Amino acid sequence: MSENVLHIDHLTMRFGGVVAVNDLSMDINRGEIVALIGPNGAGKTTAFNMVTGVYTPTEGKVVLAGQDVTGKRPDEITKLGVARTFQNIRLFSSMTVFENVLTAKHLRRTSNFLTATFRMNMAEERRMRAETEKLLREVDLYDLKDEMATSLPYGKQRLLEIARALATEPKLLLLDEPAAGMNPQETDDLGAFIKQIKDKFDLTVFLIEHHMNLVMGISDRIYVIDFGKQIAEGTPAQVQDNPAVIAAYLGVDEDEGQLSQADEEVRG
Amino acid sequence: MERNINRKRIDSATIISAAIVLCLYIAVFIAEQILPSTSMLFTVLKKGATYALVAVSMNLCNGFTGIFSLGQAGFMLIGAYVYGIFTIPVISRADVYQYYSGGLVQFTLPVFVAMLLAGLAAAFFAFLIGLPVLRLKSDYLAIATLGFAEIIRALFQWDKLGPVTNGSNMLRLFPTFNDFNIRGADGQVTVYLSTLVPLLISGVCIGAIILLINSTFGRALKAIRDDEIAAEAMGVRLASHKRLAFCISSFFAGVGGAMLAMYQTTVQAKSFTTAMTYEILLIVVIGGIGSVTGSCISSFLFVAASEWWLRFLDQKQMIGNFEVPLLRNGFRLVVFSIIIMIVVLFFRRGIMGTRELPDIIRGWQRKKKGGASK
Amino acid sequence: MWNTVFPYILSGISVGGQYALIAIGYTMVYGILRLINFAHGDVFMVSGIIMVYMAASGAPLWLCIPLVLILTALIGFVIERVAYKPLRTAPRMSAMISAIGVSYTLQNLVLYITGGLNQIYPTIPWISDSVTLFGATTKVVTVVTPILTLILVVALVLLINHTKIGMAMRAVSRDFETSQLMGIKINSVISTTFVIGTFLAGVASLLYFTNYTTVIQTSGAMPGLKAFVAAVFGGIGSIPGAVIGAFIIGIAENIIKGLDIILFKAGIIPGPMGLATFSDAFTFALLIIILAVKPTGLFGEKTTDKV
Repeated sequence: MSENVLHIDHLTMRFGGVVAVNDLSMDINRGEIVALIGPNGAGKTTAFNMVTGVYTPTEGKVVLAGQDVTGKRPDEITKLGVARTFQNIRLFSSMTVFENVLTAKHLRRTSNFLTATFRMNMAEERRMRAETEKLLREVDLYDLKDEMATSLPYGKQRLLEIARALATEPKLLLLDEPAAGMNPQETDDLGAFIKQIKDKFDLTVFLIEHHMNLVMGISDRIYVIDFGKQIAEGTPAQVQDNPAVIAAYLGVDEDEGQLSQADEEVRG
Repeated sequence: MERNINRKRIDSATIISAAIVLCLYIAVFIAEQILPSTSMLFTVLKKGATYALVAVSMNLCNGFTGIFSLGQAGFMLIGAYVYGIFTIPVISRADVYQYYSGGLVQFTLPVFVAMLLAGLAAAFFAFLIGLPVLRLKSDYLAIATLGFAEIIRALFQWDKLGPVTNGSNMLRLFPTFNDFNIRGADGQVTVYLSTLVPLLISGVCIGAIILLINSTFGRALKAIRDDEIAAEAMGVRLASHKRLAFCISSFFAGVGGAMLAMYQTTVQAKSFTTAMTYEILLIVVIGGIGSVTGSCISSFLFVAASEWWLRFLDQKQMIGNFEVPLLRNGFRLVVFSIIIMIVVLFFRRGIMGTRELPDIIRGWQRKKKGGASK
Repeated sequence: MWNTVFPYILSGISVGGQYALIAIGYTMVYGILRLINFAHGDVFMVSGIIMVYMAASGAPLWLCIPLVLILTALIGFVIERVAYKPLRTAPRMSAMISAIGVSYTLQNLVLYITGGLNQIYPTIPWISDSVTLFGATTKVVTVVTPILTLILVVALVLLINHTKIGMAMRAVSRDFETSQLMGIKINSVISTTFVIGTFLAGVASLLYFTNYTTVIQTSGAMPGLKAFVAAVFGGIGSIPGAVIGAFIIGIAENIIKGLDIILFKAGIIPGPMGLATFSDAFTFALLIIILAVKPTGLFGEKTTDKV
């Protein structure tokens, strides 16, 4: 049996009377790419927010590599090796591309504010900068390092968010709609890029995505949720043939279109 | 706006900036030996140095970390009192604490030790008040810190604490800026330092703040300001970093309070009002929220305008036989308020925006280079 | 014992009513713009100054009072249009700074006009008269304030719940952007809110300064802050909350003013402790405690941020 990275145990999240996620259980193993899909408002981002500690689940547990992290703060969870990107891009707007990534290096510091202020951590600072530089070269953003982060085109901003997440040295990377706003070419590139960084950084990837081409192309397994409840789980082929999934997507024109399109692609 | 922060080595712009600051210090030193010590210039420089430190410390919190604190006057009060209480010479204590039979504290600390203690006391109070307050959202935090300053003001005036704080009476006879002058055996001043030393103290403190802002901790603070949720997701622990910024900001506000005590030569709790905090906030806004250089320039301008250049607005002025209308006591402040409102409404980025002196020099260098290549 | 405490409670209720009228302005503006209108307390003070100057000009009081109220409301309207409206899309901090700037400006303007001297507030007949109530002597205004406050609050609540503009206000305070999309005229709603808020502050100023008799440029700062604390205490955005919070703060503050005497007469303390120093500080201690324990106040609603 392969090594379990993330175990979600009967998670439920209620906001007042609204149940956003209902009794959701999942397992993700080391080295997998797992996708979480479902119609808009199905509770995907809420699930992410519970895994990363933004929300404390109303019921259930989040277990990271055997350690129960339910109720831990987001920064603690990041320190345990979980990094994420955001659906609505959240870059540090006053900073350059370089600084955005460099800031994420703060987590793995050994200096305290006095040694850092009085420059007794120069070796560490040099290391942080060197690692940031290396990372930016790897994601092909090095030429843009001195641009303001928010002045980049949309696709590059998404890439920068991934680079920033990687700077925290994660084992598990959560991507919240990484292809949103990208054109088909960019989306294809992104798929290849995700696989590439997965191998290079020895990652496990958990993603939310609407672009079915991407999801079907790179995922090892897919979980489908609707109204906060899991309705299917399996390999891309299994999920596509699942009647419950097709029913959930019926009536949602855009997503349905993407699904049937993906259908053709995978089978053809 | 383009900035090049990926500098590993100290670039020429930073060196030029340091050289400019050094030249200013030398100029002040020379001016102080030549000009009469009663010149308005020195009053402005002394008070400006004090306000610059307090404004930069407020900027660290409000501008760089995004914690909108309005407790500045409270922390200055703590600093001013701690300084005063521990530096009044023992022989003068019976005189100062006349209603409290000489007071409780019967020893005197060296000036710089007392200043350090002033900062530490303010930071300690900041730590305590930070526990409940720093979890609050922007405007709630503002009003809670403002309330804290009012509580401190009442506490220091409380009669029962009189043996320490002298109650609602003023503290006086402690060492002031003039005591930095070096005197000869005959009591005559041989070297004037009463302006240079405050500027140096302020400069060293502001230098430390700049170092902090440009360190990995400074980047984490800016990350919190830009986006708390993203910062936390990148592993920045919000509570400890906010507390750090708040305590350090208060530390320097405390040192600034001690300097204000030295400048004023007396200290009384009732003068540390909300209006004082507002004044410092407005200085920060005029200079540019998020610019240390801006806060410094704006402090000196603000003090110079209010103590010196705009003084004439408070008196009747005659041009020939024509009496300029409106000019009488208080008009200066009205003009001031209007200037501030214009800045707040139309020049929201203030004098400097978020730029610093080296950024401007780099801009010039680039322009020159561009011109030369043509 | 009762005879010692009662006068303090009585003036507490009276001041509480005045705070309540100011607090409504804070709570309504905050509910809609999420802005602490730091200048609100100063508008209250300016209202007092206008009254002083108008009465000094020889105008009869029956004319002065309505004119003062109208002018005060007008000032509120103008401040919003000049100082807050241009900043509506700016970060929240900018509007707050602008409010502080307005506060500074109003205080300095009054300082200039009055020369920084205490101005004697005109005596309004009847409500300035003395009256004896359960053995305590006080001014009629003390009794009138809570009654008038309650009448005005009821009228306001009716206005908000049963008129079109009231409905628009509620909609805007719930969701600014959506209401705008639904065709609600945001600007007129906000202006109405300011006009109502400052009008009530004007009424509060009539009552407050009749009681305290002098006005100076800093007179508005403390009552303003306390009224804001009352609004937070009650749960910002909630009008009944603000009123209840204001009465609690008014009474508590007055009891603390007399705490030395009360405790001394009750034999708890041997001599004066100087506790009256803390009558203002207490309000803020209460604020910090409520914010730490229940940040949304007594009747406030919880909000969550979207990630």
